[in-house]
Amino acid sequence: MTKKRNRLQVIRDILSTINKKKGEIKPTHILYKSNLSHHMMDEYLKELISKKFIKENRKTRGKTYSITKKGKDYLDQYKLITNFTESFGLD
Amino acid sequence: MFTLAFAIITLGLGLFAFKIHKLSEQKSTKLFGISFIFISLHYFIQSLLNFSIVSTLNQNICNIMKIDNINSLNTLGAYSHMLFFIMGLATLTYMTLKIENKTTYILLLILPIASIIFSQNKLYLFYAIASIFLIFIAIHYLKNYLKNRQFKTLLILIAFIFLLFGNLHFIFSVNHGVYYIIGHFLELVAYLLILLNFILVLKK
Repeated sequence: MTKKRNRLQVIRDILSTINKKKGEIKPTHILYKSNLSHHMMDEYLKELISKKFIKENRKTRGKTYSITKKGKDYLDQYKLITNFTESFGLD
Repeated sequence: MFTLAFAIITLGLGLFAFKIHKLSEQKSTKLFGISFIFISLHYFIQSLLNFSIVSTLNQNICNIMKIDNINSLNTLGAYSHMLFFIMGLATLTYMTLKIENKTTYILLLILPIASIIFSQNKLYLFYAIASIFLIFIAIHYLKNYLKNRQFKTLLILIAFIFLLFGNLHFIFSVNHGVYYIIGHFLELVAYLLILLNFILVLKK
């Protein structure tokens, strides 16, 4: 059985899904790739927008999401963040 | 010298936690940073108090701050040193509780500080309250180790157990000087372990 992902891992998975798509990504694609329930994905997306890791783009054909510089910095420094939080019991 | 080293280690760790918070926006890293900055201020003041035994320095500070006498300065220093340590431990305990409630945090800060201010035996109560906070923090790190059995989580658990025992020795040090030395020795080991953990994080 695979170990349950923690919050930092879920955020990493969502951000890397968006990042891999280079430009913009539809929420259905995030849902499919992130392996979350619709409700949980909405919660995470709201959180990521409020933290300025991603931004929402409203278009006539619906919403898309793109990664910000802050989101890319998170992905670059992910290992350091998890090392620190795990070492000092912050996760 | 020890207290100054503790101040530098805790300051470094606190500032690094803020850096991680800037990257991850994780609330626990911010609280961890705040608590270690408070603890660092506690050690900086403690080392200043230790240095201020040299009365000329003390007199100069009194002149600069326009404080009437050296005793007032020392009392002010002793109060702020206790205040910052309690604030640091209260913040760290609040972080371990994993709740988002500002009222609880304020209560955790005010209750021990008010108790110390109005107590007859301030020093005893200060060490006793600090020990209670450290018990809660050590339990959090024990649970963290049991959940995630790694060398780094074991290091931080041992460090907080040493800090707890060091603090317990300070309770007895009020009347017996030898406990003060043992307490500082235990504190030294604890901060060396925290520093080692910090270095391991930076090296990876």
